[in-house]
Amino acid sequence: MPEATKSVWEQNAAPRHRIQWCPGCGDFAVLNSLKAALTTLELTPTEVLLVGGIGCSGQIRNYLNGNSFYGTHGGALAYALGAKMVNPELTVFALAGDGDTLAIGIENFVHISRRDPDITLVIMDNGVYGLTKGQDSPSAGLGHPAKVSVEEHPPFLDPVKMALTCGATFIAQSFSGDPKHTTEMLVEAVRHKGFAMVNDFSPCVTYNKFNTYDWFRAHCEMVPGGHDPSSEDAAWELIRDFERREKLPVGIIFRKPREKAPAKRLPMWQAELERIDLEPMLKGLR
Amino acid sequence: MKVNRMKLLVGGVQLRDGVSTITDLLGRILSRAGLYVMGLERGFASTIYGAHQYDPLVITEEPAVSWGDEGLDILVGLEYDVDPDGPEQPNRDSVFRHGRNVVDGGVLIYDSSSGAIPVDALEARGIRVFSIPARQIATRDLKKEVVKNVVMTGALFRLLEFDRDEQWLRRLLEERFGRKGPELVNLNLEAARRGRAAVEAILAERGWSNVGYRLEPRPTPASAVYISGNEALVIGAIEAGVRFYAGYPITPASSILEFMEEHLPRYGGRALQGSNERESIRAALGASAAGALSMIGTSGPGLSLKVEEFGVSGVTETPLVIVDAMRAGPSTGMPTKSEQGDLFLVTGGGHGEIPRIVLAASSIEECYTLIHEAVRLAEIYQCPVFFLTDLNLGEGRMTVPEAVFRSGQGAVTRQLATEQQARESRYLRYKITDTGISPRLLPGTRGGISKINSTEHDEFGFVTTDPPKRVAMMDKRMRKMAKYLQNDAKPPQVFGQLGKGPLLVGWGSTRPVLLDAQKRLQTEGINAAVAHFTHLWPFPTALAKPILEAGKPVIVCEHNYIGQLAEIIQAHTLVAVRRVLKYNGRPFYPAEVVRAVHEVTHNGATAVRLGGKDPVMVEVSSDA
Ligand SMILES: Cc1ncc(C[n+]2csc(CCOP(=O)(O)OP(=O)(O)O)c2C)c(N)n1
Ligand code: SF4
Repeated sequence: MPEATKSVWEQNAAPRHRIQWCPGCGDFAVLNSLKAALTTLELTPTEVLLVGGIGCSGQIRNYLNGNSFYGTHGGALAYALGAKMVNPELTVFALAGDGDTLAIGIENFVHISRRDPDITLVIMDNGVYGLTKGQDSPSAGLGHPAKVSVEEHPPFLDPVKMALTCGATFIAQSFSGDPKHTTEMLVEAVRHKGFAMVNDFSPCVTYNKFNTYDWFRAHCEMVPGGHDPSSEDAAWELIRDFERREKLPVGIIFRKPREKAPAKRLPMWQAELERIDLEPMLKGLR
Repeated sequence: MKVNRMKLLVGGVQLRDGVSTITDLLGRILSRAGLYVMGLERGFASTIYGAHQYDPLVITEEPAVSWGDEGLDILVGLEYDVDPDGPEQPNRDSVFRHGRNVVDGGVLIYDSSSGAIPVDALEARGIRVFSIPARQIATRDLKKEVVKNVVMTGALFRLLEFDRDEQWLRRLLEERFGRKGPELVNLNLEAARRGRAAVEAILAERGWSNVGYRLEPRPTPASAVYISGNEALVIGAIEAGVRFYAGYPITPASSILEFMEEHLPRYGGRALQGSNERESIRAALGASAAGALSMIGTSGPGLSLKVEEFGVSGVTETPLVIVDAMRAGPSTGMPTKSEQGDLFLVTGGGHGEIPRIVLAASSIEECYTLIHEAVRLAEIYQCPVFFLTDLNLGEGRMTVPEAVFRSGQGAVTRQLATEQQARESRYLRYKITDTGISPRLLPGTRGGISKINSTEHDEFGFVTTDPPKRVAMMDKRMRKMAKYLQNDAKPPQVFGQLGKGPLLVGWGSTRPVLLDAQKRLQTEGINAAVAHFTHLWPFPTALAKPILEAGKPVIVCEHNYIGQLAEIIQAHTLVAVRRVLKYNGRPFYPAEVVRAVHEVTHNGATAVRLGGKDPVMVEVSSDA
C-alpha cells in the first residue's frame, strides 16, 4: 500500500504508540487490511462511519481516521443500521468481536442480517473474550475447547451458518495471517449492495493458546475455485464439506447480488425541514 | 332538559361488539357538529377477545374541564347473549358494572337481541330503559351483522334528538365508504333509521316525549379533529423536524409507531419497527448520530430494556427524544391501565451520571405543543430528552380545534456546525466550552471527522481515563444542565391564587381533574391553587420553590404508590408535602380529590391513598 494514501487513514487516528493491542494480535492485520481496502475503494475518511463493538477488536475504530461511533457491547450493528438508513451516502462498517456479535449482540446480528441493510460487518473472531481476559466466547471451541470451562462446554456457534440462515446476502471468511486476502474480502464486502459479513480469524495471542496462527494455517483452506457463491445450496454443501473435513473455508462463501433501489438521504438540514403541510395527517382525524 | 352536556358510556365485549366503533363515530360526528367530546378514560383489557371494554365520553358545548366523576347520564350496553340458556350472561356486563353509576333520571339503552334484562331496580330510580334488539335488526332485517352498531347509533341519535335529517351521519359514511359505492352507505343509513324507529316505538308506547337529554349542533362549528395524544404527538414531532422514529410494539405506545409508519415517509422520513427495544433505541441513536432528528417511543417494560442506552445518548452527546407512554407497572403490570410510575426511572435510570431532561405533557393539546420543546431541547443540549405521557393521554381521544395545529411552530432550529466552521479550527467533537455544548458536525460533512465515543474521552473523542480530563469532560457535560436551568426550565403552570389555601400539585394527565377539584373547592369557599409541572428534570428548584412555599398545605396528587414527584419536591425544596395517591388503574375523579383534600386539611392526613374501598388514610412519613 502506498504510504501517501495510507497516511490519510492515519492522520486523525490515535497515535500509534497508543494502540493497545498485544504485540502479535490478529487485529493489527485487520487494521492494515481495512486501511488498504479503504484506499483501494478510494474512500475518504469523511465518507465512512466506523461503528465499533466493545472488545479489543472494537478499538480498531480509534486507530484509523474516519468518523466513528462507539456505544454499548453488542450494539454496533444496530447503530450502524440507523446511521445507514438516515444517510446512505456513508459507507458504514460495524467492527466487532465474536463475543460482541455472537453473544450479547446476537439479536442484532440475526435481525439485521434479515433486514439486509448496506452495511459491512467485520467480525474479528478469536474464540475468546479478549478485553475481559480470556473467557470463552460463543465461537470458542473451533476444533477443540479453547479453554476448559467449569460448566459443560456448549458447541461452537458458526457465524457463517448463522448469517446464511438469517438471510445475509454476502458471507465471507478470511484469516489475519493472510492480510492480502482479507483486504480483498473487505473490498468485495463493501462493494456488495446489502448486508455483508466478513468473519476474520484474528488470533488472540494472549488468551487463546489453542487457535493460534499455526492452528489456523493448518485448518484454513481456500474456497475451491469451482464454488458457485450465488447458490445457497452450494454454500450449504461447501459448509458441510468443510465441516466434515474439519477445515475452515476462507473466501466468499455466499454472495447473492440483489437489485436494490438506492436509498435517499433523509432531510436533515434546516432548509429541508421547514414548512410542512400537516393536512395529510389531520385529514383522517376529522 | 340537559342540552349538550352529558356523560355517556359505551360498554361491550372487546373486539366483538365494536365499542370504539361507536365512540369513534360519535366523537367524529359531534366534533364536526361543533361540540366537544372528551374520551380520555378508556377501559380496555390486555386480552384480545372477550373481555369487557368500555369507553366513557363527556360531551359538552364548551371544552370540558375534566372527565368528571363516575356518574353517567347515559349507559349504552352492546353485549348480547350468544346462548341465552347458557349459565353465562355476558350481555349484562355493562349494566352490572356501570348501572350503579347511572344517575337517577338517566338513560340505559342496551342490545336486547337475546332477551330483555330485568331492570326494575334501575327503573325505580327513574332511569329510562330502552331495549333495542340491534343485532337482531341487523342480522334478520338487513342481513349484515356488522351494521348493528349503526342501528345502535341511530337509536342513540333519536334518543338525543340529534341528526334528524341524517346529514352528519350521511356525510361521514360517504367519506368512509363512498368509494365502495352507494349500497354500503345506504345500508348503513337504513340501519340507523331502524334504530331510530325502534326508539320512536318505545317513546310512543311509554308516552315519553323526550328523555331529558338533547344534542344540538352549534351554529358555526369551527373545524376540529377528534384526536388521541399519540396522534397529536406524532404530528408535533414531524412538524418539529423528527425524521427518524423507531419503536417496538407495546401498549400504549404502539399507535405512535403505527401513525409514524403511516405518515413519516410522506415527509421524507423513516419509521422502523425494531426487532426489539434495544435495536430500536440503538438504531435511533445511530440515526441521530448520522444527523436526523430522531425519536423513539415505548412504555415501561420497553423503557427498562433501553436503560443501557440512556448513558450512550448522554455521554456520546447524541440527541434523542424518548417518549414513555406510561402504563401501570412494575414488570408487565397492568398493560391497559394508566399510571405515573416511571418518573424515577427517567430521572435516574442508568449507571453513572448524565445530563438529561424530562418533560411531561398534561393534555392532548400539550402532546402536540410540548413535543416540539422536547425536540428543540434535545437538539440544543445534545442529550436524552424524556417525554412522559400515559395511557389515558396516549390512547384517549378528544376534540381539539384545528387552530391548535395551525399555530405553525415549524421545524426546530438545527444546531449543526458547518463545513466552513469545522475547517477554521481543528474540529473537536467534544470541545470544552463554557456552556458545555460542543459543536456538532455530522459524519459525512467535509471539514472534520466525528469520533463519537461512549467511553470517557478527550475533546477529540479518544478514550481517556486521565483524571483531570475526566473531570473536565464530566463538568462540561453537566454544565449543560446549568445552562438549561438558566435558559429553558419552566416553573409549574399555576392556576388560581397562591397563598390563599391548599396548593394542589400535579404532573401529566391529572391536570384537568385538579382544575375541576379546584373549581369545586371554590364553591365550598376553599381557595385552592393548582401548580402543574411540565418540566420535571432537572428539577427547576429556583423557579418552583417560591410557588410551593406558598401552599397551605402543599398536596401532591399522582398516580403511584410512593409519590415520586412528592419525593423530588421535598428533596429539592425542603418544602413539606402531603400526598394524594392512586394506583388502582383508574384515573382520579374530581370528587375523590376534593374528599382527599378534606382528609388532609381537616384531619391532618399526610398521605391519602385512593381507589381501595374508600379513601384510606395511610401514614408513610411524619414529614409535617
Ligand atoms: C453490557 C456489557 N457486558 C459486559 C461487558 C464487558 N465486556 C467488555 S468487552 C467484552 C467481550 C469482548 O469479547 P469480544 O467481543 O469477542 O472481543 P475481543 O475483545 O475478543 O476482541 C465484554 C464481555 C460490557 N462492556 N458491557
Ligand atoms: S487480549 Fe487478545 S484480542 Fe486482545 S489485544 Fe491481546 S491478543 Fe488481541
